[in-house]
Amino acid sequence: MPDYKAPLRDIKFVMTELLNSEQHYANLEGAEDATPDMVDAIIQEGAKFCEQVLSPLNRVGDIEGCVWSQDGVKTPTGFKEAYQQYVDGGWPSMTADPNYGGQGLPSSLGLVMSEMVGTCNWSFGMYPGLSHGATNTIEEHGTEEQKQTYLTKLISGEWTGTMCLTEPHCGSDLGTLRTKAEPSADGTYAITGTKIFISAGEHDMADNIVHIVLARLPGAPEGTKGISLFIVPKCLPNEDGSAGERNAVTCGSIEHKMGIHGNATCVMNFDGAKGWLIGPENKGLNCMFTFMNVARIGTAIQGLGAAELGFQGSLTYAKDRLAMRSLSGAKNPEGIADPIIVHPDVRRMLLTQKAVAEGARALIYLTAQQADVVQRGKTPEERKAADEALGFLTPIAKAFLTEIGYEAANLGMQVYGGHGFIAEWGMEQNVRDARIGMIYEGTTGIQALDLLGRKVLMTQGESLKGFTKQVHVFCKENADNEQLKEFIEPLAAINKEWGDLTMKIGMTAMKDREEVGAAAVDYLMYSGYAVFAYLWARMAKVALDKMAEGTSEEMFYNAKVQTARFYFKRLLPRTKTHAETMLAGSASLLDMPEEAFAI
Amino acid sequence: MADYQAPLRDMRFVLNEVFDAPSLWASLPKIAENVDPDTADAILEEAGKITGGVLAPLNREADEQGCKWNDGEVTSPEGFKEAYQTIVEGGWNGLGGNPDFGGMGMPKTLVAQFEEMMQGANMAFGLAPMLTAGACLALDAHGSQELKEKYLPNMYSGVWSGAMDLTEPHAGTDLGIIRTKAEPNDDGSFNVTGTKIFITWGEHDLAENIIHLVLAKLPDAPKGPKGISMFLVPKFMVNDDGSLGERNSFSCGSIEKKMGIKASATCVMNFDGAKGWLVGEENKGLAAMFTMMNYERLGVGIQGIGAAEASLQNAREYANDRIQSRAPTGAQQPEKAADPILVHPDVRRMLLTMKSYVEGGRTFSTYVAQWLDISKYAEDDERRQHAEGMVALLTPVAKAFLTDRGLETTIIGQQVFGGHGFIREWGQEQLVRDCRITQIYEGTNGIQAMDLMGRKVVGSQGKFYELFAQDVATFIEENSSDAALKPYLEPLAAALERLSDVTEHVINQAGDNPNAIGAAAVDYLDMFGYTALAFMWAKSVKAAAPKAEGDTSGFYTGKLKTARFYFDRLLPKTVSLAEGIRSGSESMMALAANEI
Repeated sequence: MPDYKAPLRDIKFVMTELLNSEQHYANLEGAEDATPDMVDAIIQEGAKFCEQVLSPLNRVGDIEGCVWSQDGVKTPTGFKEAYQQYVDGGWPSMTADPNYGGQGLPSSLGLVMSEMVGTCNWSFGMYPGLSHGATNTIEEHGTEEQKQTYLTKLISGEWTGTMCLTEPHCGSDLGTLRTKAEPSADGTYAITGTKIFISAGEHDMADNIVHIVLARLPGAPEGTKGISLFIVPKCLPNEDGSAGERNAVTCGSIEHKMGIHGNATCVMNFDGAKGWLIGPENKGLNCMFTFMNVARIGTAIQGLGAAELGFQGSLTYAKDRLAMRSLSGAKNPEGIADPIIVHPDVRRMLLTQKAVAEGARALIYLTAQQADVVQRGKTPEERKAADEALGFLTPIAKAFLTEIGYEAANLGMQVYGGHGFIAEWGMEQNVRDARIGMIYEGTTGIQALDLLGRKVLMTQGESLKGFTKQVHVFCKENADNEQLKEFIEPLAAINKEWGDLTMKIGMTAMKDREEVGAAAVDYLMYSGYAVFAYLWARMAKVALDKMAEGTSEEMFYNAKVQTARFYFKRLLPRTKTHAETMLAGSASLLDMPEEAFAI
Repeated sequence: MADYQAPLRDMRFVLNEVFDAPSLWASLPKIAENVDPDTADAILEEAGKITGGVLAPLNREADEQGCKWNDGEVTSPEGFKEAYQTIVEGGWNGLGGNPDFGGMGMPKTLVAQFEEMMQGANMAFGLAPMLTAGACLALDAHGSQELKEKYLPNMYSGVWSGAMDLTEPHAGTDLGIIRTKAEPNDDGSFNVTGTKIFITWGEHDLAENIIHLVLAKLPDAPKGPKGISMFLVPKFMVNDDGSLGERNSFSCGSIEKKMGIKASATCVMNFDGAKGWLVGEENKGLAAMFTMMNYERLGVGIQGIGAAEASLQNAREYANDRIQSRAPTGAQQPEKAADPILVHPDVRRMLLTMKSYVEGGRTFSTYVAQWLDISKYAEDDERRQHAEGMVALLTPVAKAFLTDRGLETTIIGQQVFGGHGFIREWGQEQLVRDCRITQIYEGTNGIQAMDLMGRKVVGSQGKFYELFAQDVATFIEENSSDAALKPYLEPLAAALERLSDVTEHVINQAGDNPNAIGAAAVDYLDMFGYTALAFMWAKSVKAAAPKAEGDTSGFYTGKLKTARFYFDRLLPKTVSLAEGIRSGSESMMALAANEI
């Protein structure tokens, strides 16, 4: 397994040099603590914890997996202790509400920590990650009493949380869910039903688990408008706040799955379990949506992490492994062969991973800054604009990054040749773990519908324009910069084409209701490459400016420019295909009779 | 999880309707002796039964069990021994083998269909007969008469199995640096000493004996690839009367824990002065390996299609059964809680992509198999040489493109299942894990691309490429007045022109820039593959169009619609690939190793 090294230099580059985090944090309400020194210290500490504590547990988690018995779920060796250290370090409370024990730091800083945790041990990271979802729900929609009871414990990390949405017959289509909530005389509800795919639904790391459950009240309207949210704790809280007797909710089994073995994916059986309504009746889905964007950025990080970990592992191997000679003459004549990093195709694989990992980091941090502004922007206008930007960028980040992150993870494995397929090297685990990213939290297909249907076309293209305008301004500002020309010209062309394509699809969609579904995934992928072009051009600019000023880190900045160049020459051309196929219309998808699929 | 059903209908379409294989077979006297259309059809039918009925049901559980190693012995998963026995008794092991030594002498065009079924039903199992067939090919081509008589009949029957021992811990792609030694004995045999890794089915309990073909270096052999020889090293010595003698001095040190094909043993083999016999000439071991390489590489490509076909069968069943959300144009099945997910355009995009790759891939593998048959059996020199050129050119494409698309297809097949695709019991994630190795072994796909671009295309100064381009051009010309084909011929011609331009471009670049080939290779192979599949789909349209009118089965109309999808939605990938290739090598080579 590659030893994870937190990419601190690049994290700093993206945060401070590309996105000017110092200014950004200064502009936020209540982020006074996020001073540059503080931010630095937090990231350093987090990096140490990830490298020394979590990274070594990644293979263990995969090999041992979680073990289910009647008594509960046992997590892999070392997970429980690591979680305790995580709690002792105060990590669960980092970005939470200070009124309930949180440290009140901005979300974007929390996501840097999530990146490091998730890259070195995604299975572990999902436990606190899921708590985060429950924390957000209660923070946003809970009553004061609910906050005192549950939020404080979630924020301290003493208890963890889950989100119980999926049922055996419904995943993408939550409108058809069947779990019932019957009101009891004391104002609570009896929850009955079966939930599946509940990550971290049962484990041995914390005293209590707080489930946020989607269920239907008696007589609720059909479909998505009849769903309510409930808090259902594993153990009912005592008067003194401690975890008391067991509630009627049990983990029936855990799934045997392709990857993320260290995280328990549970079937949860609710058998008249005691629950408390959170938020208004029948508005459960709306309540969920209030923080869906942040949750999806959390999942997008899986794509970044897969690319980063694969890159770190394969770079080490490519420098060590000797095979064949360079085509332009021996580079390591004293050895029996040259290190494989001399071969162009190995470089193609490494550079693709590097371009994906660093581009992904830029996109995640950019998106996370929008989330900060939504939560803490000083004016309503700022908050509203950020909310639109966030809504636009989130499905792109989630789907595009998990797709290309998975591709990158596969390349990392490919660099190892046959050894990549062998478990002990850890590269195949990275691929298996990464695969789920494209599925959960809304599949790529669902994200694509969200982007094209709800975000772009429903706003008449306004949300896209909000972004392309920025790109346009950037291109204009740098139009005379000779060094940047190789980036600015293709970027400007893509930016224009993006708008044109959107217009064309919009026109077709007015006549053909199938058009959005037919074009969506290609549109999303195109958008991802376009956003990356903007970010890579900006990163190239920062690097070129630094080199012009004179720097002792010439090598670092030069690598940025070269990677940007690789991106523009080798990856951005993929937009050509997506542009053509997204306009292919729905007929070639829908004309095929159903029977003909089955032959 | 759907029960795997051999796709016999489509295989017959490809063999009989697209390629008219019976006419090909009739034109090759050595093949005509052994096969006629009825025999071929009966073989397909039986193969379908045995792969679907015997091999497929073992696939899921065998993945969970894996192989077990204990003190040098390997136990295969439950049921494998019996299944292997069934395969042996049915004579399947020697289907394509030389009849002089007990093989059945069937053409590759037909054997390829059986291979696809076996690999689709159970890839881990399928590797055992596949490795044996490869070892037999090498032995048949290069072994002495004595070795052939002694070993081939039992290997063709499957009573003994074969293994290929190439890789060492420090040497995989670069076999020139292997260290295993072979010291000559007085009796003409050799003592082989060294460690081999990644030896598929190197040790097991399926067969009575295991015949290893081992690459090793003779004392004072030249350095590099020209100092490698091939040795036959049996697990048990074979007595003169054919009975088994004592155990040879090598053993399996351990088996690998790996991502997929868990039910096949991937062995570390330790040779400790093991007795072996030279196969072929001294120091010509690598060349000898290459004779079977074309067959093996096509075989690996076929594994990609096999896994993809299995994934497609599961995915379309699931897409029909799983109900979720309503169609964008209104409820299609209002009596149900939701519509089957097959109504959603994006689910169709996924299924049609799978179908395009699987059926197009099957057509392509059969196309390549056809050239293999001609190159092996044609009596006319010119015809044979032409076919050899095609085989040389197309083999790396078949291996890499079909496994790349195979993996992509299995990943899509997993995506159709949503969260269930990640769960083992549904089988879709296993197909991804199993298929993943096909991009790596038998020469990684990067190596295939170098072979295509460097040795085949640039190496022949475009001569081999011209053979293929001419075949496509002739098809376009011959069918230019066919109205049904017209919508496909135009984009096919455009794709061919694009590929030809890029080919010329890279040949020109390669003169001054040694990195040009490596920088272009993978994208070029991909582009070649997409263009070749367009050709296959056009050929399929030609075969299907006349029968589509009044077709109530949906088979022929389905072909036409899938072809249209392929041209609209997948062929455009060549546009992006061409642009990437033209950008050259500078952006890849500019960074120093420490800058990366």
